[in-house]
Amino acid sequence: MQTLNFEYAAQQPVARRAHVGVVGSGDLEVLIEPSSKPTTHVRVRTSVDGYDQVWKQVLDRFFSRFQHAAQIEINDFGATPGTVTLRLEQAAEEVRSQ
Amino acid sequence: MVNMIQNDGWSKRRASKAARLARIAPWMKGSVLETGAIVEALQALLEPGDAVALEGDNQKQADFLSRSLVQVDPAKIHDLHLLISSVSRPEHLTLFERGIARKIDLAFAGPQSVRLAQFVADGKLEIGAIHTYVELYARMFVDLMPDVALVCAEQADRQGNLYTGPNTEDTPTIVEATAFHDGVVVVQVNEIVDELPRVDIPASWVDVIVPADKPYQVEPLFTRDPRLITDVQILSAMLVIRGIYEHHGVTTLNHGIGFDTAAIELLLPTYGEKLGLRGKICRNWVLNPHPTLIPAIESGWVDSVVCFGSEVGMADYTRARPDVFFTGHDGSLRSNRVLAQLAGQYAIDLFIGSTLQMDVEGNSSTVTAGRLSGFGGAPNMGSDARGRRHASAAWLDMITNKSATARGRKLVVQVVETFHKGGEQSIVETLDAIAVGKKAQMPLAPVMIYGDDVTHLVTEEGIAYIYRAEGLEERKAAIAAVAGATEIGLRADAKRTGNLRARGIVATPEDLGVRRTEARRTLLAARSIDDLVAWSDGLYQPPAKFRSWENSHANTQL
Amino acid sequence: MKTTDLDNAITKERRDRFLSRQSVIEMRARERARSLLDVGTFHELLGPFDRVESPWLPLQGVVPESDDGVIIARGQLAGQPSLIMAIEGAFQGGGMGEVSASKIAGALGLARRDCESGKPILPVLLLETGGVRLQEANLGEAAVAEIHAEIVALRRHVPVIGVITGMVGCFGGMSITAGLCSYLVVFPQARLELNGPEVIEQEAGIDELDASDKQTIWSLMGGEQRYETSFVDALVEDDATLLKQAVLDLAARGIPVHHRSENVEAYTRRLATIDPAAPPDGPALRRLWPRGEMP
Repeated sequence: MQTLNFEYAAQQPVARRAHVGVVGSGDLEVLIEPSSKPTTHVRVRTSVDGYDQVWKQVLDRFFSRFQHAAQIEINDFGATPGTVTLRLEQAAEEVRSQ
Repeated sequence: MVNMIQNDGWSKRRASKAARLARIAPWMKGSVLETGAIVEALQALLEPGDAVALEGDNQKQADFLSRSLVQVDPAKIHDLHLLISSVSRPEHLTLFERGIARKIDLAFAGPQSVRLAQFVADGKLEIGAIHTYVELYARMFVDLMPDVALVCAEQADRQGNLYTGPNTEDTPTIVEATAFHDGVVVVQVNEIVDELPRVDIPASWVDVIVPADKPYQVEPLFTRDPRLITDVQILSAMLVIRGIYEHHGVTTLNHGIGFDTAAIELLLPTYGEKLGLRGKICRNWVLNPHPTLIPAIESGWVDSVVCFGSEVGMADYTRARPDVFFTGHDGSLRSNRVLAQLAGQYAIDLFIGSTLQMDVEGNSSTVTAGRLSGFGGAPNMGSDARGRRHASAAWLDMITNKSATARGRKLVVQVVETFHKGGEQSIVETLDAIAVGKKAQMPLAPVMIYGDDVTHLVTEEGIAYIYRAEGLEERKAAIAAVAGATEIGLRADAKRTGNLRARGIVATPEDLGVRRTEARRTLLAARSIDDLVAWSDGLYQPPAKFRSWENSHANTQL
Repeated sequence: MKTTDLDNAITKERRDRFLSRQSVIEMRARERARSLLDVGTFHELLGPFDRVESPWLPLQGVVPESDDGVIIARGQLAGQPSLIMAIEGAFQGGGMGEVSASKIAGALGLARRDCESGKPILPVLLLETGGVRLQEANLGEAAVAEIHAEIVALRRHVPVIGVITGMVGCFGGMSITAGLCSYLVVFPQARLELNGPEVIEQEAGIDELDASDKQTIWSLMGGEQRYETSFVDALVEDDATLLKQAVLDLAARGIPVHHRSENVEAYTRRLATIDPAAPPDGPALRRLWPRGEMP
């Protein structure tokens, strides 16, 4: 298991907290909560070691589009980048102001 | 026939055939051979060095004949040259171990691909060439004529006519090549009956009929359990329907088997319906009877389906939908691999298939080290048929230069997720197939589909409209633009990608109006084998490996 | 209307009803719990944001889940107070660890406290579990044993309803949990068995049981088999509405006069009809131990 941390500059905090996904084989859960600071902090715990760079790329790309400040926790059990992006999109949709 | 053997040295094949049949006469009653005498008869019929077409089709296997052939005495029968389309049975390779066979020409190896690779490495067999299905059959009429054909059929009547039924597949072609060039046609049948449902192959093409010890083997290769379809595959399917089928107006098509295409089939009645596309796309299919197409058929999407072979469990369903499928006057399905392949080359707008690996130029392969799997039918489906002359809307839509001699192309779509479940990148600098080909000393690298045939690449990142790219360098940039977080994808320059998007060479889900969060399993018209059975009103009968609990809806509180 | 038109209309209606059902198997545990409770009444205890995770999995390099794979939810079920305990089968095969099992045992204990103070609450267990989580071994076993004790205490006050849907099924020590419930409702896709098929094949050999032979497995331990041999009380199609109704129907029966686990004599008599040298297959067992024979 590997723990990775990432930080991104952000603006307004997300409107609410949300949880998506399960830590099943090939899947991940995402917990997202508003951040009090204008940054987004992401902690990733992943079952597959050595993919730091891939995580960085996937998250860099996602957070270049997603600008709200949030505390995000990801618990990953070997999901592909495609699945990670999908779950992040789902989490982003859940916290969007109605 | 004896009367037709000329004395001028021009009917040696006929004379040989007559001699062979004379040798097995003791075990024959009319054209029927005693089941128990098969090994002795094969030993008497064959001669060392014979070219033997042994029916290993994509789905069905003449396994009684292969299991019997492997028992002949190698001192008497050796150095056979086998012509096997799909090397599937263990006996196919044991024949080489025993020295009964020496050389093989093939098209595909599924379960035997690892063992085949080992045999090649150990020098236990010699490969003539690895073909596609239709190439091997084509050569049976040119320079690989069978001396003996060992094939299988459902039933024979007492005259020797054959019923091959839904799994007709390649039998008529193999038999024609053999029967009309004085080879001997030996057929194993499940049973001999007084009257056939219909005649698929006439008696005068057949020399020996032998009732088998058990029905010939058939594998369900075209069934995909909807429970295994992932959200990412659903997203890709949405991109295909919106960004390709709708965009180009694809009405005639072939789906290579896979979960990506199963997802497309299951999204037509839901996502496709939402887009208002019924009747506008996906009307005529070249396809085996995929159970996952049932919801689309039942929802009125499908005008016709022509099949390469059948699929276990679909006999009653296809029989009940004669307006859609090709059925005989007896009501059962008729398939024909060679003709369906012809249709798939010349009569459809589009081929789409999943691949395991693609290189920066768009060449793709499913070959991995240690396996020798061959080509099957994909290269023929997944290439432009440059001899085509008739136009269709989608074909013409591929024209990018308006020159006076411009012509359209077949849409050849490759679908792949940027990373596989085990973490391997699917888009790479160089295909593994190159190294595999070199190591096995193959005359050409085992590329399944060439980059210059590919018109579209679909990943979970979007669609690269490769056919619009000008030149190799732009093609590479378009591929990199949808290669996500792979090493190749990291080379994509954001500005360049923006330019490609502006010019319609690359489209993201957002560009196409596809919301990633809509990609959920609830969008599938059927989410389990049970659902498919329900869609078919019980006509679809899943084979054993896809069944667990009994599907007796009558017992439940519906 | 011609007969064939009527037949076709009935067939189409039946098919459309089947296809428009809400599949519970397709839902995650949290969604399953939510689907059982009346809209707007779902309230989760110790949810993901409380982060009560397994302390043991990270030490072994296994990524934990924020809720340790168990959802505890209070709410109303057709207007009556209810407690849903749902196991997430996708996380570690629904294996019970220290935290996940304690969440269930603790919730059952709180339910008992409510019942004892005159506030009855209907407990429903959604059992999607391979049994004890191997990485937590004895702690998991101890906590599962607590679940057993809590059920035995609670079922004196109120029926404890167990639900097994599949596809994971209910195995190991948690099959004993199921056996202690007042009532069990299953889908045809469910399996209920002490030993998993892979374990049987591994321990006793492939001749004893081929774990890849799905039809044989379900014929021995599947939902329909268990229903036909009186090991469970209701068999319904995979649909959230049908499941909720089945739970309500069973709850309405009240506390059974004798719990299944108390019928020692009856089960001993049943066992006596089996010749271990010639064990019956699934269909034969249905004839030997027919439904309705059990009190």
